[in-house]
Amino acid sequence: MARLEQMMEPMKSHLAELACPSFDHQPWVSGKPLADRRISLISTAGLQRRGDRRFEGMTGDYRVIPGDIPARDLVMSHISTNFDRTGFQQDWNIVFPLDRLRELEAEGIIGSVAAYHYSFMGATDPAEMEPAAQNLVELLKGDRVDGVLLVPV
Amino acid sequence: MAHYLEGEGISTTQISLIREHTEIIRPPRALWVPFELGRPLGVPENPTFQQRVLLKALQLLEAPEGPLLVDFHEEAPEDAPEGGSDPKGWTCPMSFASETRQETDLEKLRSAFDREVAELLPWYDLSMENHGRTAVVEFEPRSASELLGVFGAEGHPVTLKTDISLATALRLAAQDLKAFYFEAVSARPGSAPPSSGGFSRWFWQETAAARILKAVKERCLKSGDKSLKMTGAMFLIPMDQR
Repeated sequence: MARLEQMMEPMKSHLAELACPSFDHQPWVSGKPLADRRISLISTAGLQRRGDRRFEGMTGDYRVIPGDIPARDLVMSHISTNFDRTGFQQDWNIVFPLDRLRELEAEGIIGSVAAYHYSFMGATDPAEMEPAAQNLVELLKGDRVDGVLLVPV
Repeated sequence: MAHYLEGEGISTTQISLIREHTEIIRPPRALWVPFELGRPLGVPENPTFQQRVLLKALQLLEAPEGPLLVDFHEEAPEDAPEGGSDPKGWTCPMSFASETRQETDLEKLRSAFDREVAELLPWYDLSMENHGRTAVVEFEPRSASELLGVFGAEGHPVTLKTDISLATALRLAAQDLKAFYFEAVSARPGSAPPSSGGFSRWFWQETAAARILKAVKERCLKSGDKSLKMTGAMFLIPMDQR
């Protein structure tokens, strides 16, 4: 379904023409086996704790999602109407696989699940996200995270 | 984000929905998945499938070198041609379409909308009781339908109790209304949750709610307020339904 060539217009052209940043350098950090890693999720689905500030615009701000949040307290305030939300309405793991991550931790396949996860609103200019990314580096390191899974929507 | 975090010493991996974008950005590690937008893990209520996607993405962290863009070849079961239930085959067990379809007058539309909402409300309440969860963020069904109904059909000025702008309120109420409709129709006995396509076709083609949203959109577009105009143009009706 998310194959660009199979999408309907005008969505197809909209996505095909979307400006994407490219980079000259190619950073790469090798590290420990998965079983020793502490994993945090970063979503761009505009997720937030119920009652937290809503996402309003493309300003690169983010929300903190504690690792012990129950599903009923996680909501989506992304402003786009152009992606399916019925999956999330049935099961939060389809965009924010925290239960699955906990299972992998229990099975010893990953080392541990981070204490905090983070959410942005996608479609934001990546340059706008840089100050937030700087904050996240400190927060992730403070949480001893050494593996991040970025999940789009 | 991946470039930035990796440059600061934190390994990243990611799921990619639009392969063409990932090919340009070239993050250190990415797993492209063939699922529709909004469903990066593929299928709701299918832990085994989700686990396969998740593990494939995480295992890229153990790759010796990159950048890596790997494809996940398994289709989401619902989208598979031989899948159990054809998503196009889902029809809503409730039919208010016949009594509303002929109405053009906005007042009649409003009353058709109110009937629809009244019919769905008990199922929404039951869904909440059964699941303990709703995706409704800001506007409970009654206030969402009141706001959209008054603004869209009656054309009266709207006074909001909250401190949010009218444009924001309309956008949030529209999303919350759709979440309410989805949760309510999914909760009816004998009705499995519809596929995304099945729900979208039903909601946009057969409900009075969709026609109310289109009326809200029209009123926004005619407004002198810039943020209302923008909301009408972009944030009420999906691109494929305009």
